[in-house]
Amino acid sequence: MKATEQILSRRSLLKFLGVTTSGMAVSPCLWPDAATAQDPPRTNALEPFTGPGPNSHWNSVSPYFTEPQKAPLLLLTDRPVQLETPRHYFLTAFTANEAFYVRWHLDGIPNAVDLKEWKLRVEGNVNKPLALNLSDLMQKFKPVSIAAVNQCSGNSRSRLQPRVPGGQWGNGAMGNAMWTGIRLRELLDMAALKAGSLFAQFQGLDTGQGPEGFGSHVFLKSLDLTNPVLDECIVAYLMNGEPLPVLNGFPVRLVVPGYFATYWTKCLSWIRVLSAQDENFWMKTAYRVPDTPRGNTTPEDVQAGKIKTVPLERLPVRSFLISPDGSSKIPAGMSVTLRGIAFSGFGRVIRVEVSDNGGKNWTAATLGEDHGAYSFRTWEMPWTPKSPGRYSLAVRATDEKNNTQPDEPVWNPGGYLWNRIERQEIVVGNAN
Amino acid sequence: MKGRTGAIFLVMCTLAITAAVVCADLKKGYYTPSQLGSLQQVAPGDLSPDSIYQVSAYPVPALDLSAGDGRQDVQIYCNTCHSPRYITMQPPLQAATWESEVNKMNKTYGANIPEATTRKIIAYLQAHYTPETRKEWALVFAICR
Repeated sequence: MKATEQILSRRSLLKFLGVTTSGMAVSPCLWPDAATAQDPPRTNALEPFTGPGPNSHWNSVSPYFTEPQKAPLLLLTDRPVQLETPRHYFLTAFTANEAFYVRWHLDGIPNAVDLKEWKLRVEGNVNKPLALNLSDLMQKFKPVSIAAVNQCSGNSRSRLQPRVPGGQWGNGAMGNAMWTGIRLRELLDMAALKAGSLFAQFQGLDTGQGPEGFGSHVFLKSLDLTNPVLDECIVAYLMNGEPLPVLNGFPVRLVVPGYFATYWTKCLSWIRVLSAQDENFWMKTAYRVPDTPRGNTTPEDVQAGKIKTVPLERLPVRSFLISPDGSSKIPAGMSVTLRGIAFSGFGRVIRVEVSDNGGKNWTAATLGEDHGAYSFRTWEMPWTPKSPGRYSLAVRATDEKNNTQPDEPVWNPGGYLWNRIERQEIVVGNAN
Repeated sequence: MKGRTGAIFLVMCTLAITAAVVCADLKKGYYTPSQLGSLQQVAPGDLSPDSIYQVSAYPVPALDLSAGDGRQDVQIYCNTCHSPRYITMQPPLQAATWESEVNKMNKTYGANIPEATTRKIIAYLQAHYTPETRKEWALVFAICR
């Protein structure tokens, strides 16, 4: 009502002055754009799903939602909880705990942990089984810290063509934190592994409704004891200098630097040393990718049963433009700062390049502070679009092993390993 | 001479005021009743200095699945392990993909849904959530808005 009254009163004033909008043509310098005169549009909600084409938005199209200890994030699912981090949180190298994405497999997520009862156990094929409480972990071991990116295996799954079932993540199923805790190796050494030990299996407090012996009952992941990544693993009780939110794994979480988050067991409570291959569903069947370059295959080859699979492991190199995000116009001639992040699970990012013509020409961006090989690395670059139009900004990163982001899509039935060069359309308007 | 300066001044003022008013008319003061973007703040919980670290119950917002035969079976059986949001989150999937998804729940995850009900659930998902059938739903959504 109030808005209508205001409009009416302004219209009457115009009448009083004896001028109509069309009359403004006499003074084009004062009113250059009168032809487009219109009421502002109503704000609309984003369509709640995308497809069968790829999701064209940076994030998923989920609504904002607030879970315990969390800022409003994008709700993929409520039970079990899956939340995506909105784009703007990636302007900094470290992702705030309350904004850090969440992904659980089973609905029995703890609502409470009693630290009087809780223990981290190291058992199985060991000579000295351990049962340590949080105080032991904090007091009896030397704390170590590492900055490491935690990225969901299915991050960006909504880009794949044809679409695959699973969590329809945009790009926000990732985050970087400074993790502090104790070395996994120290725990294993203290437990004194018996001869013939092959794998360390990890289990958290979460449980599901499914029957025993099925992946819907417990979530179990294993790492080969000869895998050098074990020397870099820590059992973290601090995330960015704070206790972990329950939804991110309070009281402790396994940190596997450079590896996909499927190995980063939340609410870690059992480390089981195995003397045989881990045959459980989450290792034998799930989180596997075709044994091909980039894990790429086709629906036809999967159908034909031609695909040999291997467990998913390290994060392929990726980079993102975070700002500007394309939601506003930029006036031509204005020098703005392009900002974003890059990372790789194969070693530090050594180069980020930006193109403003869709990938024809590339210019090196300035890299931000180096927080370690497995951290987000920020980058920025000044950009002055000279003339109005639609610009396709593309960004690509290269890591120290000389892996560069490709411009080809990837497809596999699990929707894993997406790392194609990202593009963002930016609209540049007239400045006069 | 004085009269002419006054007249020019008056014309300039009128033009300036008009421009300002037109600008304002186009760019200012428009509001619209809408709940879009509104999200309630969560009240802080009570904490005590004991050994129990607790968070509130995880909220599950209401969700409307498309009305149709089989909806209740989906609500009962699928909801055992996960909320139906797992269905609405998906892009429109091919009929064969829905069939293999439901079969996966039985065989791989041990859901043990009776065979007749399994068939009903598959038929429901195919009737409402494929590229062909979900388009209609999207259209309804667009019209409702």
